[in-house]
Amino acid sequence: MLVIINALKSISRSKGRNILIGIIVLAIAASSCVALAIRNAAREAEAAGLELVSITGTISVNRQMMMSSLQGGTFEGGIPDMGSMRETMSLYQDLSLAELLSYAQSEYVKDFYYSSSISLNAGGELEAYSTESSSNGSGNSQIPGSSGNNQFPGGMGSQGGMRPGSIIGSIAMGDFTVTGYSSEDAMTKFINGVAKITDGSMFNIGSSSMDCLISYELAVFNGLSVGDTIRLANPNAEDETYDLTIVGIYTDTSSSESSNMMRFSTSMDPANLIIVSYGTLQSIIDHSVAVAVTETSGEYGFESSTALNGQLSSTFVFSSRENYESFGEELYKKGLSDYYSLTSSDINNYEASLTPLKNLSTFAVMLLLIVLAVGALILVVINVFNIRERKYEVGVLTAIGIKKGKVALQFVTELLCVTLIAIVIGAGVGAAVSVPISNNLLSAQIEQMETQAVSQEQNFGRPGASGGMDFAQGGQRPSGMIDVFGSGAQADVTYLDKINATVNFQILGQLVGIGIILTLISSLAAVVFVMRYEPLKILANRT
Amino acid sequence: MSILKLQNVSYTYDGYTKVLNGLNYEFEKGKVYAVVGRSGAGKTTLLSLLSGLTSPSEGRILFDDKDVQKIDRYQYRSRYVGVVFQQYNLLPHLSAVENVELSMRASGKKFKDKRKRATELLDEVDLDDSLAKRRVLKLSGGEQQRVAIARALSFDPDILLADEPTGNLDLATQEEVMDIFSRLAHEKDKCVIVVSHSPEVAASVDEVYELASLGKSKKQRAGNEGKR
Ligand SMILES: Nc1ncnc2c1ncn2[C@@H]1O[C@H](COP(=O)(O)OP(=O)(O)OP(=O)(O)O)[C@@H](O)[C@H]1O
Ligand SMILES: [Mg+2]
Repeated sequence: MLVIINALKSISRSKGRNILIGIIVLAIAASSCVALAIRNAAREAEAAGLELVSITGTISVNRQMMMSSLQGGTFEGGIPDMGSMRETMSLYQDLSLAELLSYAQSEYVKDFYYSSSISLNAGGELEAYSTESSSNGSGNSQIPGSSGNNQFPGGMGSQGGMRPGSIIGSIAMGDFTVTGYSSEDAMTKFINGVAKITDGSMFNIGSSSMDCLISYELAVFNGLSVGDTIRLANPNAEDETYDLTIVGIYTDTSSSESSNMMRFSTSMDPANLIIVSYGTLQSIIDHSVAVAVTETSGEYGFESSTALNGQLSSTFVFSSRENYESFGEELYKKGLSDYYSLTSSDINNYEASLTPLKNLSTFAVMLLLIVLAVGALILVVINVFNIRERKYEVGVLTAIGIKKGKVALQFVTELLCVTLIAIVIGAGVGAAVSVPISNNLLSAQIEQMETQAVSQEQNFGRPGASGGMDFAQGGQRPSGMIDVFGSGAQADVTYLDKINATVNFQILGQLVGIGIILTLISSLAAVVFVMRYEPLKILANRT
Repeated sequence: MSILKLQNVSYTYDGYTKVLNGLNYEFEKGKVYAVVGRSGAGKTTLLSLLSGLTSPSEGRILFDDKDVQKIDRYQYRSRYVGVVFQQYNLLPHLSAVENVELSMRASGKKFKDKRKRATELLDEVDLDDSLAKRRVLKLSGGEQQRVAIARALSFDPDILLADEPTGNLDLATQEEVMDIFSRLAHEKDKCVIVVSHSPEVAASVDEVYELASLGKSKKQRAGNEGKR
C-alpha cells in the first residue's frame, strides 16, 4: 500500500522524466505490436496451409537430384560424364501407369486420376484455330512482362507432365492436342468452372468410343456442330487417320485471356484441345503402335518410330497434408528410387505464396529484437541516471524505517506503471496502424520479389513470361500448375498480399510481457543501488 | 525503567580512530535528556547508533533489554524511535504535511485521520495551514526544522531523538518546542533525548549527558564518561 501510494505520488511529481520514459516505451510498444501482429499473421497463414483439405500431388523424376548426385558421386568437382548421365536418365523414366496405379492403392490416397496427351494433325478439311497472322516467333513483343507460365493443353488437371528427358528424335508436333482423361475429376477446368459444355453433352468417361469434346473456337472456326465427325492424322504418318464424333462443344474462359501468349505451336492453344476419354486415347495409341513403321536415321543412327506416344500425367488426391506426407514416405518404403519425388503444386504454390509474408515476418522479428535491445539499453541508462539523482530520497526513506526492499519495489512500481500505461497506448497505436503498415510492407516485399524475378528472367534473355519456353525446352519446371487460388490455368504464384495483422489478446499478453521484462531489466540498476547502499552513508555524504 | 541502555559502546568510522569509547549509560522513560559536548564529540554519531542507523564497533545498545543489533532495525526506526536529524532529512519535493504523513504510513500504525493529525502536529510547532501545504523546498531553515520535529512525533514513538532541534529557532519558539518535549516525557511517558549546545536547553531538561571529546582530551580519557 505504502509502496503504491509513494510510487503514484512520485510519478505525478516527476512528470518530465516519466513522460520521456513513456514516449520511449510507447515507441517500443507500437513497433513491437506491429512486428508481433505480422509474425502472428504469418503463423496463422502458415497454419492455414497445413489445413488444406484437398491436396493433389504427383510423382516425378527429380532431375536436379539426379544431376547433383551424378556430379558429386562419380566425378568430384569434375565434369559430369554425359554418357553415364544419359544412361541413368533413361533408366529413370517417368513412372508407367501400371506402377502409378499400384502406388495409388495406398490408404493415404483419396483419389487417383490421370490423363494422357498426344499431338495430332488434321486429317481432312479441319483447320486448327489460330489468331496469329504470321509465324509464331514474332509474337514475343506482345507478351506482358509480369505473368509467369504459359499455358499448354495438358494443363487441364495434369501435373508434373515433364517431358522424358531421354527421348531423342522426332515426335512431330501436330496442330491439335488430344487429351484423354481417366476421370471427370481430372478435368479440373470443368470442375472449377473455367470450362463449360455449352452444346451437346459429356461423353461416357469410361468408354472408349470415338467421342470427343471440342472447343467453341474450333467449332466456330470450322463450322462444326454436335454430331459432326472430325478426322485427325498422325503427324508422323499422314495416312494414319482417326475419326472422332463431336458429342459436345465447350467454352474455356481461360483460353481467351491467354490468346496473346506466345505459343510453341498451335496445338498449345487451348482452343485446339480435343478432349476424349482415356480409353479412347489409349485405343488410338494402341492402333498407332500396331501400324507403326520404324525408321533409322542415317545421319545419327537413332531409331525413330511413327507410333504415337502418349504424354502421361497423373494426379494423386489426398484429403489432408498428413496423408500427403505419409504417402511420400510410404513410396520410398515401397522401393521407389530416390530419384523420384512426390510433389504437390498446391502445397508448393501455397508456400510460395507465403514467401513475402514469411520474409516480412523474419524481418519484423529481427526488427523487434533490435528495438527491444536498443530500448532496453536506453531505459537502463535513463534509470541509472535517474536513480543517482534519487540517492538522497533512498537515504531518507530508509532512514525513516522503510525497508530497502520496499524502496526498490516502489521504484520498480513507478517504472512499471509508466511502462504499462505507455504499452496500452502503444498497443492502441500499434493496433491502429498494424494492418495498413503490414500490408504496405508486404506489397513492397512482393514488388521487390517480382522485380527480382523479372530481372532474373531478363538475364536469361526472356522478356518475363517464361513458362512456355521452359516447357518447350523440356525444362524441369512442373508445367501446368494448378493455382490454389482458383484462377484456373494461370499458373504463376499469386502471392498472399493482404494480411489481417490484427492485434489480439495473445499479442497484448506478449506486449505486457515485454513491458514487464523491459521494466525489470531497466530497473535492475535501481534495485542493485537501493540494496547496496546504507542510509547513513547516503545522508552523511549529502552536500 | 530504562528503555535504552549503552553497554560499553565504542564507535569508529575508519577502523582505528575511536569517535566514541566505552560508553555506558541508561535512558529512562518519562525523562528528557540533553546530550552535550563539543563540536565533533560524537553526539550525532551517538544518535545514529541509538536509532539503529549504524552499529557500534564494540559493545551493545539495548532497547527494552533487547540488543538493537538483533531486532528488525527498520521496524525499530519506523515504529519506536522518532528522529529529528541535524540536517532535517526531509523530502524536499513533498509538502510539509506529506512528509509527516509519509512517516506515519511507514510506521504501519493505524491512525484515524492522518491528514488531520499531521496538520495538528504542524500547527503545534507553529506551522499554519498554508505553510503545511508548501513544498519543504520552499520553507526556511527554522520552518524545515519544525517540520522535522512534527514528523518525528507523528507516529507516536516511544523514544524521540533530536539532533539540535532548536538550532535554527528563536528563543520563544525554542521554548515552545522544549515544552512539547517535556509534555511528551512527563505526560506521555516517552523518552526524549536532545542534542544541544544551548545552555537554556541544558537547563530545562531532567538529565544532562556530557560526551567528552576524545581527540582533545586524550589524557583524561577513560575516567570521565558515564553518568554524572
Ligand atoms: N561519515 C564520517 N566518516 C568519518 N568520520 C566522521 C563521519 N561523520 C563524523 N565523523 C567524525 O566523527 C566525529 C564525531 O562526529 P559527529 O558528527 O558525531 O560530531 P557532533 O558531536 O555531532 O558535532 P557537531 O556538534 O558539530 O554536530 C567527528 O570528528 C567527525 O569528523
Ligand atoms: Mg552533530
